[in-house]
Order: sequence, then structure tokens, then C-alpha cells
Amino acid sequence: MIEFERFSLQNGLKVIFHKDTTTPLAVINTLYDVGARDEDPEKTGFAHLFEHLMFGGSVNIADFDAPLQHAGGESNAFTSNDITNYYDVLPAQNIETALWLESDRMLSLGFTPKSLETQRSVVIEEFKQRYLNQPYGDVWLKLRPLAYHAHPYQWATIGKEISHIEEAKMEDVKAFFHKFYNPSNAIICIAGNFKLAEVKRLVEKWYGDIPTKMKPARILTAELPQMEFREQIIERNVPSDAFYYAFKMSERKSAEYYITDMLSDALGRDKSSRLYTSVQKEQKLVTEIGAYITGSLDNGLLVISGKLSPDVTFEDVDAAIWKVLNEIQTEKISSIELDRLKNKIKTAKAFQEQGLLNRAMNLAYFELLGDADGVNQEAILYEQIQPEHILAIAKEILQKTNCSLLKVKAIQS
Amino acid sequence: MSLRNTAPAIHPLQKINFVEPQIFDITPTVKLYWMQPVPDETMRIEFHFDAGTIRGNRKIAGFVNSLLLSGTADKTSTQINQELDGLGAYLDQEIAQELAIVSLYCLKENVEKAVAILVNAIQEVAFHEHEISDMLREKKQQFLVSSEKVSVLVRRAFQKQLFSNSENYNRQLELTDLEDVSVLDLKRFHKEFYLQGLRKVIVVGDIEPAYIDRLIDTVGAWSKLGTCEFETDFINIPGRLHIEKKDAVQTAIRMGIPLFNKTHEDFLDFQILQTIFGDYFGSRLMSNIREDKGYTYGIGCGVAESNNAGYFIVSTEVGKDVAEATLKEIKKEMDLLKKELVPQEELDLVKNYLLGQILKSADGPNAMIDLYMAAHLHGKDFEYYNQAIQHIQNISQARILELANKYLNWDNFTIVTAGTKVKLNAKIRV
Repeated sequence: MIEFERFSLQNGLKVIFHKDTTTPLAVINTLYDVGARDEDPEKTGFAHLFEHLMFGGSVNIADFDAPLQHAGGESNAFTSNDITNYYDVLPAQNIETALWLESDRMLSLGFTPKSLETQRSVVIEEFKQRYLNQPYGDVWLKLRPLAYHAHPYQWATIGKEISHIEEAKMEDVKAFFHKFYNPSNAIICIAGNFKLAEVKRLVEKWYGDIPTKMKPARILTAELPQMEFREQIIERNVPSDAFYYAFKMSERKSAEYYITDMLSDALGRDKSSRLYTSVQKEQKLVTEIGAYITGSLDNGLLVISGKLSPDVTFEDVDAAIWKVLNEIQTEKISSIELDRLKNKIKTAKAFQEQGLLNRAMNLAYFELLGDADGVNQEAILYEQIQPEHILAIAKEILQKTNCSLLKVKAIQS
Repeated sequence: MSLRNTAPAIHPLQKINFVEPQIFDITPTVKLYWMQPVPDETMRIEFHFDAGTIRGNRKIAGFVNSLLLSGTADKTSTQINQELDGLGAYLDQEIAQELAIVSLYCLKENVEKAVAILVNAIQEVAFHEHEISDMLREKKQQFLVSSEKVSVLVRRAFQKQLFSNSENYNRQLELTDLEDVSVLDLKRFHKEFYLQGLRKVIVVGDIEPAYIDRLIDTVGAWSKLGTCEFETDFINIPGRLHIEKKDAVQTAIRMGIPLFNKTHEDFLDFQILQTIFGDYFGSRLMSNIREDKGYTYGIGCGVAESNNAGYFIVSTEVGKDVAEATLKEIKKEMDLLKKELVPQEELDLVKNYLLGQILKSADGPNAMIDLYMAAHLHGKDFEYYNQAIQHIQNISQARILELANKYLNWDNFTIVTAGTKVKLNAKIRV
């Protein structure tokens, strides 16, 4: 059970306070309700590029990192298709330094041309390091547009192509900031050994004068239900053939989300999962296989991916995978298997909740979903899942007409 | 808006409350370390074996490690996995040069059963032929994929150059090693380095004390008798080596020198120097090569410690056209630290940052025991970190300059790059 208090400021800023009397550290987690899905299709990769710029100095403070390091702290951030999340960890007695820095960059950025120029280069190198210079590194750049034809999930957070980052202009950067970076579009979570009254006073002091703005309206192009099987083959200079089956699934807030998560565990989370034991261990058709969900806020994907054993064809593996998928939608899973899945989830959750930073991030994320207390309800939602729920979801989504298949054909160049 | 133009006051680090683990003798040399105060239901148990890659031949240590849960005469690997998963247990098998670790993560209510399954699986592993061929097929695949990464190519070549005097330390797995393996060799290694190779047990969790006794009874027979031999001096081959990787859009750089570990008198102060140089976000290398030039997504350095030695490395991946320019900048930053006193303001920042890092690395029982074990490996206890705090608080600009001149000598460095073809001049022009 993660305890928390909640309050908000006049300007619309939502604040969660999580008290932990055992730690000498403080965490300030700032979630902005903006991600790659909010980008202009002609200017993708922008939310992430912007995340980099947030470290390039704010309106009253030339450098973000140095004062925080001077206070014994450090900071980082990540961008997803849905959100941009910043966090600072520092000795609790210096919490005001982090509040000073975070509130100033919420107020306004420095917008120096040098910062934009450098971070463009850094992000381009990140693009190369993560997506271009790795075997199979670009599969998500291909799989997303195959699975999504209308919704902005069709591009990755790094962007569709390097040119979008290269062409980013200062006026775009400023417009992005003014639209998305304001108190009404943010949730902060403060965690540490503080008193609520003290937290309220400090948050009011540093964030209270930031002008209020309307929370930007989000109107995204909805993805129409998929009605046909999609397949694409790409050739790459990689050691072995690989496959990615992507099935459309429900949105994050639905009850089906948790069932689909457990379905993906049953299929391919660990070495007792169905795909691993059948396709890899017994039939030896693959050298690696797994199943997982993307966990996105709008309709996500359940993905099955793996690599072929030498001299095995895509057809062989395809038949073996579909056999497993057909079984799970015709026969209910046993209570032993279900307990196994639930126990793994229970353990994982207990370990995840150990870290102060994790707790702060989760509280902010669940507040975005509608209620920070959702973090405490999750366990019950998993516990309530029954074999018939998994059967029903399996039947609904593990259909060929709901599937986008990307094959990577290994070639020697 | 004057409030925003001045930084809030900084309050210095207060005392760190270190919590000692309880230590139990399994034998006079093999001990169990128990961190009991854990405020939740989690349990972490680690078994450390003298079964690192320096033992046996080039391939055997890694193979045995991968096969530990591969089945016994009575149980298949799938049955073992199902039993452990049924208890909600997570398992991690990792191998380094000087040790192999098997870690178990689960909830308190299941720990006794999970350990029993794990111990039986390791004790009775049968090395079935079909499991060996599965392992070889999977390893071959992983090897081929990782060989496509410049970061991996550079690391393999770097190790060969850095540990040039010790075959045990510099050997690298090769594709032909994955063709076959003798079952007898696997069994021999398993017996010698696992069933008689346990060096430490770490327990983090609020379990009843009687369980600790039972755990010692369960695994005590695995204890390593006698001492373990480890390399005390690494001798590197200085100079440049390039590994060609066709069509790579980035070049990986890894460079380093043999150095020391916590037992050396310069260790603590060198940590401060190398933090300034490249071990935090605001370091000289990051500020110059990432934040000013934009050559890379990240660059960093660090000291790696082994039982009886240590080494210092700098590593990055940069755009293929700027690899030579990056090396030039790394040298420039080294030279600058040797020529000019680090400004007091920068030194103060790094001091505070490092004190914050120590506080962070002591936060929570899991971090606390890792911190303790890192000191304990070199015969020290938490007092070592109090000394570290003293060193950080007292270090002078002159001392940083002195250490830079003592250790950061470009000509001593092994420099390996992996990426597209380059024209190598005998020396890098600076």
C-alpha cells in the first residue's frame, strides 16, 4: 500500500505527496501530459527532442544540471508515446534546489540557439546508436506504421526519420513549450520524509506564481478497427530471421488491459510460458521467443517476437505459433497456470515498490490515468482475473485479421 | 522575480546511518551476510561461486552457468522453471571474470520452497545432451547478434589488449567454441567450481533467524575450501587498435589502463578526479563531447575493480565521421587536467555531487548491503565510506592536478575503436 496526499494549486498544477520516513533522499517527479502521440506528423520526434532541451537552461537559470549536482542530486527524464517524465533525486534537506529548478523550467525555458543546435546533434547520435547501429534496431520504426494507419502511435518517440529532427526550428520549439508545458498539463509527485504542510508551503512558494493556461485539448485521429491481416518483409544484414506479430489490444484504462497483460505473460513472459516451452524448448524452431504488451494509454499492441533457428522457415514457425494461439482461445487455462502468472506479478510488484523513485513515478502516472490510488488497486485487478476472462480476451484479439506481422529476412551483404 | 534569480541555500550532508549486515560463518572463509531490516515481504538471496570465466577453459564457465537449471535425472528444465515460477520466484544467473552469481528474488512466504528447488536443481544438474545442444544453438545465435554491435566488438578486443599478460583474463569466446563441448568437462567444472566453489551467500529480507541456520545447512557443503587465486597485476598493450565493422554509422571507442582498487592509497582521490573527468552528467567529457560538440549520445569513464587489481576505462559511441576528433578531445581534456588546476567552483560541485551519491548508494537495505559488500571485498567495512567522505571534503585542487599527472598519461592507454574503416596513422595527431 503506497500512502499519499493530493492537492492542487490555483494555476491547475496537480501535486501528489508521498511520505517516506525511512529515506534521507527526496524525489521530485514531474510528469507532463505530452508525448510523441501529440506531435505533428510532419514534425515527429519533437516531444523527445524537447525533453533534451529542458536541460539546456531555463528563463532565470543558465544551467539545469550544475545547481542540482551542487546540491548533491541528479536528474534524468524519459519520453514515451504518451508522456514526458522528469525526475530529480537529491538529499532531502536540499529539496528546494530541485523545486527552484523544476518550477523555473515550467515557467519558461532559456531557448538558446546553442542548446537547440547541440541537442539536435545529440538526438541524431541517439537515433543512430539505438535504432540504426544495432542489429534489428529499426524494427519498431517499421512495425508501428504497419500496425497503426491513422493513430500517431505509427511513429516512434525518436521520430519517423532523422530529417524531422534536423529541421527542428526555434519557433517550433517555442510553440511546443507554450502549448504543452504549463501547470495545468503537469502532475508533480514529491516523495520523502516531509510534512504535508511543509510540502504545500514549498510548492506554493515555487510554483504558485506560474501563470495558468488552459490544458491543451487532445484530439487524436482514432485508429479504425483492423479488419485484415497485414504482413511486411524487410531484408536486413542480420544473423538470423526474426518475426514480430503485433495484435491490437485495449486502451490502458480498460479492465481488459490487465487481462491482456496476463495473457501475454501466459504466452511468453518466462521459461514456463506456452510459446517458450512449445515453440522453443520442444520444437526447437526458434532460439528466442517472447510476448509482451506495449502498455500504451490508447489502444496498444500485444507483441510476439523471436528469432528463427537455423534452417527453419517462417512457415514452420508461423504454424507452431498459431497452434499455441488457437489452444489458448479454445481451452481455459488451468488454475495452476493462472496462479503461477499471478504469483509472478505479485513478486514483481513488491520489488518495484521498494524504490522511492519508482513509487513517485507510479503515483504520478496513475494520477494521469485518473487516480493515484490506482497504483494500490492494480494488485486486486490482477487477483480477480479468472480463466474465462483470459479465454475471452484471447478469442477476441488473437485473430489473424487483428494481426500485423513484420518479418526480418536475414541477408548477407 | 528576485526569488528565482538566487539559488536556495545548500545544506551539507548530514551523517549517513550505515546499517551493518549480520555475518555468519559457514566455514572460516565462507560467510553468509544477512541484511534483516527490510520493511516489506521481499527476499533476495545470492550465491557467489568461484566459477567466473577465468576458471576452466575459454568456454566452459559460461556453459555451465547457463546450464545450471537445465534439469536433473528426475526433472526437466521446464518442470524446474514451472515450479519456481509457481512460487513467483525470479532467477538471475550472471557470470563475470572472477565469479558467478545465482540470485533469487521472491516473497518471504515462498523463499524456503524456492531455495529448496533451486539448490536441488544446481546440486543434481544432469547435463542432458539435448539441453547442451539447445544451449549451444541459443548461444551461437546470441553470439552472432552481439557480434553485429560495435560496442561488443570493441569490448572484446579491448579486454585482449588490457589483460595482455593473462590468458585467463583476456580470452574471448569464439564461434568455433560453440560447435560442441564435452559433457565430462562440464561435469568436472560443475563439481569443482559450484559444488565445491561457494564463496559467499547474501540474504536480504526479514526472515526468521532459524531460517538462516537452515540455509547454511542446505548449502554449507558447497563451500570452497582454501583460497582463490586472482591476478594481481594487469599489463596492457598501449596504443591504438581498430576493429573494422562494415557499414557502421557509429564508431565505438574504449580506452583504458590497468589501475588499482580500494586497497590503494590513491583510490579515493582518484575517484574524485575521474568523476570530474567523465563520470557524471556535468563532467569534462560530457560537457565537451556531448553538450558542446554533439558528437555522442553519451560518454563516460569509470574504475572497475577486481579482487586483487583494477583498471580505468573511458567509453563512448560517436558518429563515424567524428571518431578521430573525439579521441583528440579526450586527449585534450586529459591534458587540461594535468596542466591547469580544476576551478574551485567545479571541485565544490563535484564534492557535493559525490557526497549525494554516497547517500543515495546507502538508501534502503538492498543498496546498503551492496555498498557494504563492495568495501568488504577489499577487506574494509563501512568505516571506509566515512573515510571517503573525509577525502571528498578535504581534497584540494593541487591534489587533483598531482593525480592527473600521475595516472592520466595518454601514451600508457590502450585505445580500441570499432567501426567503419579508418586510416590509422601511427599516432593520433593532436
